[in-house]
Amino acid sequence: MNTEILRKEFESRMAQLPSQGKDHEFRRKAMDAFYSAGFPSRQWETWKYTDLKPIASKGFQLIPKESTDSAHETASKLLATCDLEAEPSRLIFLDGHHVPALSSEITTTGLRLSMLGHPGLKNRSAFSKHSSKNFKEHPLAALNAAFSTQGVRIQVAEKTNIDTVIHLVFLDSNLENQTSQPRILIDLKAESKITIVQHFLGAGSNSGWTNSVTEISQARSSDLTLYQLQEHGTEHFHTGLLYSSLTSDASIKLGFIDLGGRLTRNDVQIDLDGAGAKTELFGVFLAADGQHIDNHTRIDHRAPETKSIETFRGIIGDRGRGVFNGKVVVHPDAQKVDAQQSNDNLLLSEKAEIDTKPELEIYADEVKCSHGATVGDLDAEQLFYMKSRGIKESAARGILIFAFANEILKLIGLPKLRERAILGVADHLPSHDRLGVEL
Amino acid sequence: MLQIENLHVCVEDQPILNGLSLEINAGQVHAIMGPNGSGKSTLAQVLAGRDDYKVTQGSITFYGKNLLEMQPEERAHLGLFLAFQYPTEIPGVNNAYLLKAALNAQRAARNEQEVDAFEFMNLIKNKMEMMQIPKTFLNRSVNEGFSGGEKKRNEILQMLTLEPSLAILDETDSGLDVDALRIVADGVNNLRSPERSLILVTHYERLLELVVPDFVHVLAGGRIVKSGDRDLARYLDEHGYDWVQTEVSAQ
Ligand SMILES: Nc1ncnc2c1ncn2[C@@H]1O[C@H](COP(=O)(O)OP(=O)(O)OP(=O)(O)O)[C@@H](O)[C@H]1O
Ligand SMILES: [Mg+2]
Repeated sequence: MNTEILRKEFESRMAQLPSQGKDHEFRRKAMDAFYSAGFPSRQWETWKYTDLKPIASKGFQLIPKESTDSAHETASKLLATCDLEAEPSRLIFLDGHHVPALSSEITTTGLRLSMLGHPGLKNRSAFSKHSSKNFKEHPLAALNAAFSTQGVRIQVAEKTNIDTVIHLVFLDSNLENQTSQPRILIDLKAESKITIVQHFLGAGSNSGWTNSVTEISQARSSDLTLYQLQEHGTEHFHTGLLYSSLTSDASIKLGFIDLGGRLTRNDVQIDLDGAGAKTELFGVFLAADGQHIDNHTRIDHRAPETKSIETFRGIIGDRGRGVFNGKVVVHPDAQKVDAQQSNDNLLLSEKAEIDTKPELEIYADEVKCSHGATVGDLDAEQLFYMKSRGIKESAARGILIFAFANEILKLIGLPKLRERAILGVADHLPSHDRLGVEL
Repeated sequence: MLQIENLHVCVEDQPILNGLSLEINAGQVHAIMGPNGSGKSTLAQVLAGRDDYKVTQGSITFYGKNLLEMQPEERAHLGLFLAFQYPTEIPGVNNAYLLKAALNAQRAARNEQEVDAFEFMNLIKNKMEMMQIPKTFLNRSVNEGFSGGEKKRNEILQMLTLEPSLAILDETDSGLDVDALRIVADGVNNLRSPERSLILVTHYERLLELVVPDFVHVLAGGRIVKSGDRDLARYLDEHGYDWVQTEVSAQ
């Protein structure tokens, strides 16, 4: 089992870090947590449909900090596809490691960016008060915490509205059997506001593994928008946990666009801890031939007048496999809660599969909740209507699939990112459903 | 231009058309009338290529080619157009986008130069005015939330843009107010030419006063049971279909 390899990897990492301090202890605690839980297996209720064996059975090693020339070359090529003007403020991570030379200088009052993994820097812990909460449920988050030398801590000061969008670009240079463990800590003080993009981007067909954690603390009336665009190479593995805790009147808007990778698992945990906190959570996932994409989200309404709206759409082609599980828990005393959830899926072939399960647990009595899931094929009447106008079958299919995704993609508030997501969806459609017309 | 011979069609194993024959030559306008459920829309949909309607016997030839072997889009490329009795709503697909995609798909199929966004707007400007469709309709989803009359006018806008050589209008006049009926009739007349033919499926003689047909046919029991000129439409308007049915059963 490769927990051993990861443990060895951990010990050699630890040897390089200063051997005292809270973080040091914390890392050890995290590694122990991962070691005792191991990789989640399909016996776990939350992992019923997603098998981590392809990852667990491999001997992954943490990618060394010194990247090779060829890695840099890949990085430049990947970056060339990103619009510099659309992303004036970006931090580039190559195989998990921050690359200052490729990143922008970001100096904005009220915004503090600290790179993790620089030993000796004070007040730049890789952990927050929430960090250990998730170890039991999410051993992979514990593993990430154990390594925790890659990533960034983003802090926004009180009453500060950051206009610049921060793009975090994680490039994987296509290394076989290597893993990166990026860690993003976001800390929003009261009445602050920021938009952040997490962009995972890779190419090629070697099987690397990205295991990310995004940990968010939001103080009173803070406002975060975060989009995650996942465009890994065709054989890449991606696992990630996004955790957010919101105090009163704070709000978070989250958008997940998953297009690439061989196996992707997104865990999202949102704690609406303060009265009036709210979340808007949406996603589009596209699993083409042989891809597996799993979105597991959980929203806990722990305070009155909290609100959640969740909409995910899946497009599954050929032998693709999609999983959606959306759990919403309304705790006792969380009165006047409004929780809506929907998951609609398009299956483009007979061999495509989706498992979707909305779960509602309500322990308060004054709540407004709705949820629903649909699975279907493209609408035959709509296809016929378009074809009768002279549009080819493949183009008509493309237009319809695209319209289905676009209903969600249009929620992306950044025009350039939205455009990229739109083109990405078109690009990842099964070839017989490709758009035959310009966008 | 179009020859339909001894056409038999089943829908869900139910025979709907039972030996229908009809010939349409270039430049002609044929009206098809008949009681509800007699198979008029079935005929229209079969012509356009809907594949859940099974042709069990007979043939359809369009410009000398076997229409039944063609995909719906290929029929459109050859110049066939159906204005649907119930135009389909397509949420999320922009109305102008669909029309431009359709126009360019047809142009590409005919090896003609495709139009860009600017040329497209120029091309449809007058047609929209003629159909009295406000500009805002271009950016709405296809037929979504359109009123009944708006859907019909949108169908005619598509027809005017695509300039088919054979247009089948399936009850495009139903549900239109007096002014809209005139607008639609003007649009249809605008397209008429010695090369273009029309099939008007209708229940009302009023449309036929505005778009004067060369022939009027009565479809009943899955066949054309009577044909005549526009006077037949007037007569049907007054006397209904009972007498036709009686006449047929007497034979
Ligand atoms: N999908 C279907 N399944 C079962 N029966 C059908 C189907 N489609 C049509 N039919 C039947 O076929 C017959 C002919 O229908 P069609 O729509 O062609 O009639 P029509 O002449 O256009 O009538 P109307 O004047 O009311 O528009 C009807 O009895 C109808 O119920
Ligand atoms: Mg009809």
